Amino acid sequence: MLRKDLVIKSPVSKTIGIENIINGGFGAVISRAGVGKTGFLVQIALTQLLNDEKVLHVSLDDAMEKINLRYKEGYTNLIDYIGYVDPQKALRLWEDIKTNKVGISYNESSFDTGKIKDYLKSFKKADLILPSIIIIDGLNFDTDISAILEELDALNKEFSVSFWLSMQNHREEELCKDGYPIQLETYKELFEKAVLLQPIEDKIEAVILKDGDRTDQKALLNPANMMLVDEY
Amino acid sequence: MIRDLEKVRNIGISAHIDSGKTTLTERILFYTDRIHQINEVRGKDGTGAVMDSMELEKERGITIASAATYCEWDKHNINIIDTPGHVDFTVEVERSLRVLDGVVLILCSVSGVQSQSITVDQQMKRYQVPCIAFVNKCDRSGANPVKVSGQLRDKLGHNSVMMQLPIGLEDKHEGVIDLVAMKAYFFEGDNGENMVTKEIPEEYMDDALAAREEMLDAVSLFSEELTDYILEEKDIPEEVIMDAIRTGTIAREMTPVFLGSAYKNKAVQPLLNAVISYLPSPLDIENEAIDLDNNEEAVILESEFDKPTVALAFKLEDGQYGQLTYIRVYQGCINKGDTLINSRDGKKFKAGRLIRMHSSQMEDVEAIPAGHIGAMFGVDCASGDTFVSSKINYSMLAMHIMEPVISLSIKPKDNKAQINMSKALNRFTKEDPTFKTYVDHETGDTIIQGMGELHLEVYVERMKREYAAEVETGQPRVAYRETITRKALFNYTHKKQTGGAGQFGRVAGFLEPCDEEFEFVNKITGGRIPTQYIPACNQGFEACMDKGPKLEFPVTGIKVTLEDGAYHAVDSSEMAFKAAARGAFLEAYNKAKPVIKEPIMKVVIETPNEFQGACMGLINQRRGIIQGSQEEGVMSVIESQVPLSDMFGFSTVLRSGTQGKAQFTMEFSSYKQVPQSVAEDIAKKKLEEKKENK
Repeated sequence: MLRKDLVIKSPVSKTIGIENIINGGFGAVISRAGVGKTGFLVQIALTQLLNDEKVLHVSLDDAMEKINLRYKEGYTNLIDYIGYVDPQKALRLWEDIKTNKVGISYNESSFDTGKIKDYLKSFKKADLILPSIIIIDGLNFDTDISAILEELDALNKEFSVSFWLSMQNHREEELCKDGYPIQLETYKELFEKAVLLQPIEDKIEAVILKDGDRTDQKALLNPANMMLVDEY
Repeated sequence: MIRDLEKVRNIGISAHIDSGKTTLTERILFYTDRIHQINEVRGKDGTGAVMDSMELEKERGITIASAATYCEWDKHNINIIDTPGHVDFTVEVERSLRVLDGVVLILCSVSGVQSQSITVDQQMKRYQVPCIAFVNKCDRSGANPVKVSGQLRDKLGHNSVMMQLPIGLEDKHEGVIDLVAMKAYFFEGDNGENMVTKEIPEEYMDDALAAREEMLDAVSLFSEELTDYILEEKDIPEEVIMDAIRTGTIAREMTPVFLGSAYKNKAVQPLLNAVISYLPSPLDIENEAIDLDNNEEAVILESEFDKPTVALAFKLEDGQYGQLTYIRVYQGCINKGDTLINSRDGKKFKAGRLIRMHSSQMEDVEAIPAGHIGAMFGVDCASGDTFVSSKINYSMLAMHIMEPVISLSIKPKDNKAQINMSKALNRFTKEDPTFKTYVDHETGDTIIQGMGELHLEVYVERMKREYAAEVETGQPRVAYRETITRKALFNYTHKKQTGGAGQFGRVAGFLEPCDEEFEFVNKITGGRIPTQYIPACNQGFEACMDKGPKLEFPVTGIKVTLEDGAYHAVDSSEMAFKAAARGAFLEAYNKAKPVIKEPIMKVVIETPNEFQGACMGLINQRRGIIQGSQEEGVMSVIESQVPLSDMFGFSTVLRSGTQGKAQFTMEFSSYKQVPQSVAEDIAKKKLEEKKENK
């Protein structure tokens, strides 16, 4: 019951839609530095964990401890957002779902999709259920990463696992003619979904840039916890 | 032995495996003139380090038993305990910390804070032991002591403060800059024995000034005098800075960080100076005992020689002259010929030969005064016993001892081995509280239990080498447990009226899961069960915990609440209520959804980056849960939780999967319920075993 409530109240259900998270290949969460890409990616991952799915979170910025901390914080924010929850129950659920998350921290220079491939292969070898999504946080889209993205695309096809990536844009850059930041424009064929997070006064506006019918839908988020503002 | 306790230091050297603890100790002994030649841990000379006196230690290059030794430096007596780094021997570390006043925590300048450093740190916290850190191996490729100091802060929560800066790193490591004295130290001579003090090289001056300012800023928190000097921008006397560092260190509010390379003989002498300057003397530490004659009230022990004696036996060794008992004297003084009492069993004994140890060599002494570590011969006692003089009845608080998680059946190969094996087991169980043994009555096998495969392997090997007891070992077994998962009612009547005296007792109530091992709550009112039979009910239930009805594993986590019952004026007895409780337990147990729990181990693998995926795969194949992985330079650290039953033989698999380049540590984490499919396998195996035994 608590799982269901948390999924319904997740900012992801109102923006991307829970059913859309794993329905396809690549998704991007775009924003300037410090707006909340990682926080939003964590909320995406949490909905999967709450649905008893496995998640692999690869970070090129954060250390392993910090990744774990971000998940704990994201979960606590979600719990606090839905109001009173029996703390024991919340703790038990956390203990239950956290084991389905694996955080891997790579140095940017040594990041190699081969390591992810080895890891995914080991699931197949041991006849285990694969992660439903892989989050990759910290890839630098200002450089040419087409080779990495091609390799990730191959993994997507081989293992049928969805990817969600963070994408950093910059204040001074103008949007391209179809309204995409330049970083997305370059690889727009690959990404089926994209959410742009932008600060509007003291809130964050989540705009769906790319996702079929949902395109251009908007929602307001609280920057302190990345939860929906409209609810309260 | 020095009687001025200001000049005594009881220190331990703790760290992750292969961080260079024994190498550092060896250098310390060399510089303090205790030994006259340096031998390497796995040296080509085949001698092995002095501190690794056990044959097996020298061969494997690991320290198994803590060897105690002492040395003198700058007119101070330093008692050193060299502790094992491998987690399977963690009880040795626990014991050492219990009797030490301070610790030198060694960290590798390349690997930084590793899993065992975290365990050792937790133990230091438990016993409130102040520490200084030594970042070793600065000569290694990839050395980064500043990063390690940061890890000490981030991963272990220490207020780490750099006391030195390196002069060159990796193969250019030449010496260190002392930020307190603002001098540079270089180490000359064949074994770095000549410490040469020079001015700080110009190219390092800016960094040194910045680092000193940072250091002063951190240290000034512990001294108003120092703060005044800083605010008034006066020249600060070294003593003022050192006093502040000492205050912060002893209060466990800061950890001064030193660096060097023990193997390359760099900066060991400044570390010794730091031990004297910053780690506490026995007078700085408050030690407590409990007064067994006064409701176990806590008593503060005083390091005064004329007070009644209190000493703790923290380690036993069986040598060629009989049992050697290592002791730390906390109060009073043990003189040769003194009569002492073992407060555990009240037995009197006479202190015979007293010695102090220098690794495996010994020096006879006339007395061991308070504050010192020494050893005595010919005392029949167990590790952890307290010795007191006849005037008092104190006991030092018990040490934290973990329950064994793995067992192995052993069978002597012949009659002679049988006798020797008994002798060996008798000694080992006395020496090591985490090593246990018993005879399985069903199979007749002798079972040994311990903290890990290596732990048991070492004891089997020692039986062979030291006692000539050749034994055959069975498959290692996991210490499974049973528990219940929901509440279940019982209402059981034990009635027997066939010949002789009758038996009658009825008990009613419920079983429910709880966090304690076993809890019994009596809610009987109105004398439905007379008070004198309640303890029998308790005993009856508790007796059922030894062997669970499901698969005969020990049962844990059960709370029994007794609410109702009945008795018979003539036929009720303690025996009848015990039997009723047993019946009730069996009745409710199956209704309470019993499950099997297994020990889950925290497994940390350190591997070169290229094998990270492969290592994670190995964990996946073992029902393991990967908690995360972190790249640190060329190495990756993978943290995971894996059931112990799937870890047997892992070292071989890991070696072959990583060309021998990865290593792992494993320690007990918690008990968790086994998945249904595994529970079925366990049940099947258990059934087969039973059939075989029949």
